[in-house]
Amino acid sequence: MTDSGLHPPEAPAAAAIGAMAVEAVALTKRYERLTAVDQLDLVIPRGSVFGLIGPNGAGKSTTFSMIATLLRPTSGTIMVMGVDPTRDPVAVRRQLGYMPDILGVYDNLRVDEYLQFFAASYHLPRREWPGLVDSLLELVDLTTKRAAMVNSLSRGMKQRLSLARTLVHDPDLLVLDEPASGLDPRARVELRDLLRQLRDLGKTIVISSHILAELEELCSDVAIMEAGRLLAAGPPRQILDQLGHGRRVRVRFADGTVEHHDVADADAQADLLRRLVVDDQRTVVEFVEEDGGLEHVFMSITEGIVQ
Amino acid sequence: MSIGLSNPVVGREVTERLRGLRAFVVIAAFVLVLTLTLFLVYEAMSSQASFDLATRTRVGRTVYEAVLLIMTLLVLFFVPGLTAGAIAGERERQTLSTLQVTLLRPRSIIAGKILAALAYLGLLLVASLPVLAVAYALGGIRLVDIGSGLLAVAFVALVLAAMVVAISTFAKRVQTATILAYGFVTLLTIAGPLAYGIATIFDARSEGAEARPDETIAPAFLLTPNPLTLVVDVAGGATADAGPLSAMQDGLGEAWYRNDQSWFALFPDTRLGDIAFDDRERPDSRPPAWVLSSLSLTALAVAMSWGAARRLRAPAEVER
Repeated sequence: MTDSGLHPPEAPAAAAIGAMAVEAVALTKRYERLTAVDQLDLVIPRGSVFGLIGPNGAGKSTTFSMIATLLRPTSGTIMVMGVDPTRDPVAVRRQLGYMPDILGVYDNLRVDEYLQFFAASYHLPRREWPGLVDSLLELVDLTTKRAAMVNSLSRGMKQRLSLARTLVHDPDLLVLDEPASGLDPRARVELRDLLRQLRDLGKTIVISSHILAELEELCSDVAIMEAGRLLAAGPPRQILDQLGHGRRVRVRFADGTVEHHDVADADAQADLLRRLVVDDQRTVVEFVEEDGGLEHVFMSITEGIVQ
Repeated sequence: MSIGLSNPVVGREVTERLRGLRAFVVIAAFVLVLTLTLFLVYEAMSSQASFDLATRTRVGRTVYEAVLLIMTLLVLFFVPGLTAGAIAGERERQTLSTLQVTLLRPRSIIAGKILAALAYLGLLLVASLPVLAVAYALGGIRLVDIGSGLLAVAFVALVLAAMVVAISTFAKRVQTATILAYGFVTLLTIAGPLAYGIATIFDARSEGAEARPDETIAPAFLLTPNPLTLVVDVAGGATADAGPLSAMQDGLGEAWYRNDQSWFALFPDTRLGDIAFDDRERPDSRPPAWVLSSLSLTALAVAMSWGAARRLRAPAEVER
């Protein structure tokens, strides 16, 4: 709970277990004196694109590591695709593709060898490898680089190859920690297009990024974390409405004058338009919501606390 | 090279290793040093006054032992350098977590790393065959000697690779792992003989002013958990002057004899120690030191690998 008046989502009901890709209840991770994740309640529906936002040190990567079966929570529970990763990590790994925040690849392998290695690591039959590699390279637009050495790829290409690697075993859940980090604008656009394709394929995507505008465009739900705690969660528009001060509307009239109005929510927006057009009899030629994007929400409710 | 061997880590490691120039530089250096050893030993012995058949067969034996000793020392030197980065390297280049979230079990990852190192070291041993063939051509050794000697060196390479891979699991950086690995291998090789030597001096002082170091007793078991002991005992010849390994094997025999003819005597009978080793007949029934050596090294390698696999297990309390 924060001063902004936002409330973390309710703990998931027992009946809902299994319908969600990720469910965390009071999830906590402590390292001696540091509490990296503090009482996190998180519900990520299957098929959603879920953005985890927060400043550096907010606990995003630690949360991702717990989802990805790498870290054991200090307390609380977490279920990933209906399975407890602390009890049966292998069952989770079969359904999970994980891309860590720092890009690490095997530079001395060819692109196809790199994907074949991971196909073997997921125990996929050897006869499936050629077709699999072809389709993955096509998906990430690296077909022409099939025989290239990994160390000859650009950062954007390595990032796409890394994404292809997470898809080798056709997981239902993708956990992508800062996948756009360090990419140039063109590579970012390509990555975003690729994530859209994966979303259309029905994958559940959990993603963190510092490029908030991109998350806003891509994500059906977001969660905002700071200092290990969840500040807000839900669809971006809903969070904005909860904030109550997130909408600023620019109105341009036929006589050329422009006015700015602050409104609380969508209903207030409609009221404003009705009042201007019906009550005041003015001719409105433009009625545009100016701000209130994810960046605005993020700046409103975080305090810049770094652990 | 195919990357689809039964353990994918082996295929990937071997492919990556053989792509680098370093792999071939190491093989070239290895063969060069062995060839140089062969040349120097042959030159030293062939310059003797009489180079009859008996001397010539002795040259073959000495060349074989010298080459095998240098080969063992090279393996002791190369294994830490070649395998210290096994896990620490994955950690350093941020690929370990992507490996941990696959379906590979930690023990498969560890085994893959060890087998990959062994595959490369196997190449080194194969590359040494021509040098050993020259020793065979000179006479004095049998094919079975070459086979058993190479097996002993390969076994040393295997257990050392397992130990160094385990050390690598506990280091965050390749540099740290390399330093730790070299320190460990040095300790493993010289700690036992050093402790034996110190114990001998300690015994000599406790015997009083008249006691001589060569008549005193130190526990012989200090010499057994040692890779050199293994090779020495397998490849050493029948007489002490046959070559460097034979001379060292003779020293092992003396240590065993002075310890009440046991490898495990903690408090040996000092009277036996007072008998000069040269004055008694060489015992035929000495239990082979290589058995003890291989057992103790295997136990150590297995224990360390087990610890390493545990450390790689995820989910973990702290991300590895």
